[in-house]
Amino acid sequence: MARPRGTDGSLLSSLPWTLGALAISIAPHVPYMPFWITGAFAGCAAWRYLIEKRRRSLPSSWVRGALALACFLGVFATYSSISGVGPGSALLAIMAALKLLETRKRRDQFVLLFISIFLVMSSLLREQYLWSLPYMIVSLAIIMTAWLRLAAAPEVTARESFATGGRLLAYAAPLALVMWVFFPRLATPFWAVPIDTSRASTGLSDTMSPGDISSLSLSDEVAFRVRFDGEIPAPRDRYWRGLVLTRFNGRSWTAREPSVSTAAQKEIHVAGDPIEYQITLEPTRQQWVFALDMPLSVSLPRSFMGPQQQIARSTPIDQRVAYEAVSFVDYRVEVDLPELFRKWYSELPADTNPRTREFAQRLRAAATDEQAFIDAVLQMFHDEEFFYTLEPPPLGSNPVDRFLFDTRRGFCEHYASAFSVLLRSAGIPTRIVLGYHGGELNPMGGHLIVRQSDAHAWTEVWLAGVGWVRIDPTAAVAPERIEYSTSDATRDGIGETWGFSAPSRLMHRLTLTWDALNAKWNDWVLGYGPEKQSDFMKLLGMHEPNWRKMMLTLVGLVVALVMLISLLLMLRYRPPARDPAARLYARFVRRTGLDPVIGETAIEFARRAQRETQIPGVTIDAVTSAYLDARYGPHGDAACARLATAVSAVA
Amino acid sequence: MSSIPWPFPKPGDLFGALQAKTNRRVRRWARQRQGMDAATTRLRPGRVYILPTGVGLIFGLMTFAMLLGSMNYNNNLSFVLTFLLIGVGFVAMHQCQRNLVGLELMFAGADPVFAGQPIRVRIAITNTSKSARHDIRLYADRSMSETADLAAGESKVFVLPIATAERGWVRLERFGVRTLFPFELFRAWAWLHMDIRGLVYPAPAMEPPEPPPTLLAHGHRQHDARGEEDFAGLRRYHPGDSPRQVAWKAFARSGQVLSKQFSGADTSSQWFEFDAIPVADVEMRLSILTRWIIDADRKLEDYGLRIAGIEFAPSHGDAHRRRCLETLALFNKEDD
Repeated sequence: MARPRGTDGSLLSSLPWTLGALAISIAPHVPYMPFWITGAFAGCAAWRYLIEKRRRSLPSSWVRGALALACFLGVFATYSSISGVGPGSALLAIMAALKLLETRKRRDQFVLLFISIFLVMSSLLREQYLWSLPYMIVSLAIIMTAWLRLAAAPEVTARESFATGGRLLAYAAPLALVMWVFFPRLATPFWAVPIDTSRASTGLSDTMSPGDISSLSLSDEVAFRVRFDGEIPAPRDRYWRGLVLTRFNGRSWTAREPSVSTAAQKEIHVAGDPIEYQITLEPTRQQWVFALDMPLSVSLPRSFMGPQQQIARSTPIDQRVAYEAVSFVDYRVEVDLPELFRKWYSELPADTNPRTREFAQRLRAAATDEQAFIDAVLQMFHDEEFFYTLEPPPLGSNPVDRFLFDTRRGFCEHYASAFSVLLRSAGIPTRIVLGYHGGELNPMGGHLIVRQSDAHAWTEVWLAGVGWVRIDPTAAVAPERIEYSTSDATRDGIGETWGFSAPSRLMHRLTLTWDALNAKWNDWVLGYGPEKQSDFMKLLGMHEPNWRKMMLTLVGLVVALVMLISLLLMLRYRPPARDPAARLYARFVRRTGLDPVIGETAIEFARRAQRETQIPGVTIDAVTSAYLDARYGPHGDAACARLATAVSAVA
Repeated sequence: MSSIPWPFPKPGDLFGALQAKTNRRVRRWARQRQGMDAATTRLRPGRVYILPTGVGLIFGLMTFAMLLGSMNYNNNLSFVLTFLLIGVGFVAMHQCQRNLVGLELMFAGADPVFAGQPIRVRIAITNTSKSARHDIRLYADRSMSETADLAAGESKVFVLPIATAERGWVRLERFGVRTLFPFELFRAWAWLHMDIRGLVYPAPAMEPPEPPPTLLAHGHRQHDARGEEDFAGLRRYHPGDSPRQVAWKAFARSGQVLSKQFSGADTSSQWFEFDAIPVADVEMRLSILTRWIIDADRKLEDYGLRIAGIEFAPSHGDAHRRRCLETLALFNKEDD
């Protein structure tokens, strides 16, 4: 059965707005979608607009069916799954494009507007920047306008529709705010669906092959922000523990899949004061959770400690998360390491890096004990011609040999790896920790910014009677890399000698301000979870907040606000005030005791009043003439005053 | 395939019957609650009813799904979006109701029609408020008017076509006024019970018998030199009068359109008698009379009507035609 396909231009008043609403809601998805989907949508939108403009026919169901099949196959081929935000929003965009081609009546556009709302929603699931909120509100205003255009009378202009949509949205804003503040937040989700699997992970890789990729990320992207409850630890203590690499195959170090270890936490013995802080971690799409070395507890749901005191979450971190953690700078870990593990931590593959092993054994024989041997190795890094560089030469098949004896140029990974191999060759258990080191203090926000460029690798060495000890061989080579972070340097006055000019300092300050704003945004808006909400409720004076109390408050406030809005609307639709002359004259009419007749003029009424009432004719004439002057004469205000006195004379 | 008679009512029928019963009950309830309305009625808030539409239900489901999603991902920005949409829903509900409250509806007449033609009931709606009203429409059981906006202070006449089947008074017991503004999420409406009635003339017969012969009442002919009849006076212009008959000079003087009457003119007149029609069926006779009157009126002939003791002397013009047709319409009907 063929449905009529012709168009008559009746959609021209609403279609551009519907297309605009779709475009503004698809825009945030464009960087994440394959290009052809954006192309398909833009093509269909332009096509549909031209059809309406030229009053052509819509494409036949054959064409549409073929297009739909091609597009859906394309989506499956691209994503190979339909769950998650990536494929979901791609499907929505495709559905919008195809639905456009069969939209003939105004009402068909409802579906398109619902799709655009879902697209806005899914873009918010994917990223929540500071500007996402204003962008969402603008998108919503456009969608509301498009919605009003669906049924708008021809004489209503688009500007009026936009004003109406904006007004209704403004009425809704306080309601939304109240609901947002008081709606009880859940600590745990109902189910876990990956937000976005189409994006590569950022941050640290769980293998380390010094010499393979010969450069280091210097991305300024924020890895996480830290807010300390007390003093901020000194730069040399700012080691942010991430994952631990234990296996070396001669070329690369690898981490094991994160697994729960109940024993790991018990092995930590701490001393001194705890350091309490909150971390807001940007999404990494990896499982690793970062904390100051050595973390004792982390409040992130579904997170756990692995056997090497690394912290991970059972699902990848695909959204920004905030958690509180407690760490100790003064600690001892696994003082009694079983013989089996000691062996395991000092395993090296045979036949690789022979020169290193031979050199290490020689050095160990010359040293009195393990400590002396380690000092000798560090002394070697410090005294001999080793250089810290971010662009070292490639190393080839026996990377440690080549690094130690030939190139002698590298960054933290090279030193950590070489140091570990040297120690393992001498039978000392070691492991490599990947994480971040340092962090820049943002004076505006009072928090520490740790960037991707702060990524670092260091070594942990197991010493009898002491346990695992952190030794950072990079510090022996380039102590300034550890003592100060690069951005600290600019603040400490070193910047001037390095030639930072004033504009770049201003830029830096602006960047820090923006960062502080973002940190506040993350803290208060995005991080408004069960604990923050509970704190805020207490601040508002709620005693022992629970979800029931919050829901009751929410309902009460919403009802009050809705009544207020109703009142506002009532005032909006009240009749215009009558002018004073009409009011005074109405009083006069009431006092005569006569019923006015429809269509009767003031003079006719005066004549009737003369005949039928006892009111003196002079008074009636005075009132009537004053009224006529007030309504129609040139000096309305003066006549009005006269009218008032004349009316008051009527008993 | 042979159809076996199903001994029970079909579910569809059952549902329809239930719906009709509910409708009747709601109808009675509204009528009792509101009482009879005056010819000019202002909509009070208490009589504007509101329910979500299909779109509104889908919107509600969508926001609920969005709320679940926001809770699941603990995503505060999508909470903002969800709550804004829920807020828009609340606001839309009140805006929708306020869009009707305070409107003034007035019955503005209904011109008579012939049975079978829809009678066009005119209702004037006045927006006495400071703001525009949008998407207003009148409806009755099986008909609806155009949709229109009312600017601040504006008054518009809405036409509600009501189907007619037989002659006599047709009553519009109840009609409604509704709006879907702003987002079609809700439908606000009010029922009005005004004393609205319109007259339905009998349907003109399709193949009437020949009308009775015309009686020519010859005037005494005194043709003057120009061959015209004696001037007898002026009367009001009737549609159909020839332009030559119009007293143009009098029109220029007084602004009234008058026609010249001549005493010597041939006046053809015919008597239409109910009892003389050789058809048994009363309704058929009325239809035939109606047809004759229409035809005579169209031909500008004079005609008289005799029916059940009522007699209208031969004449012509709109008033005469209306009187005659009204009599036919209400013949043997209870005048209520």
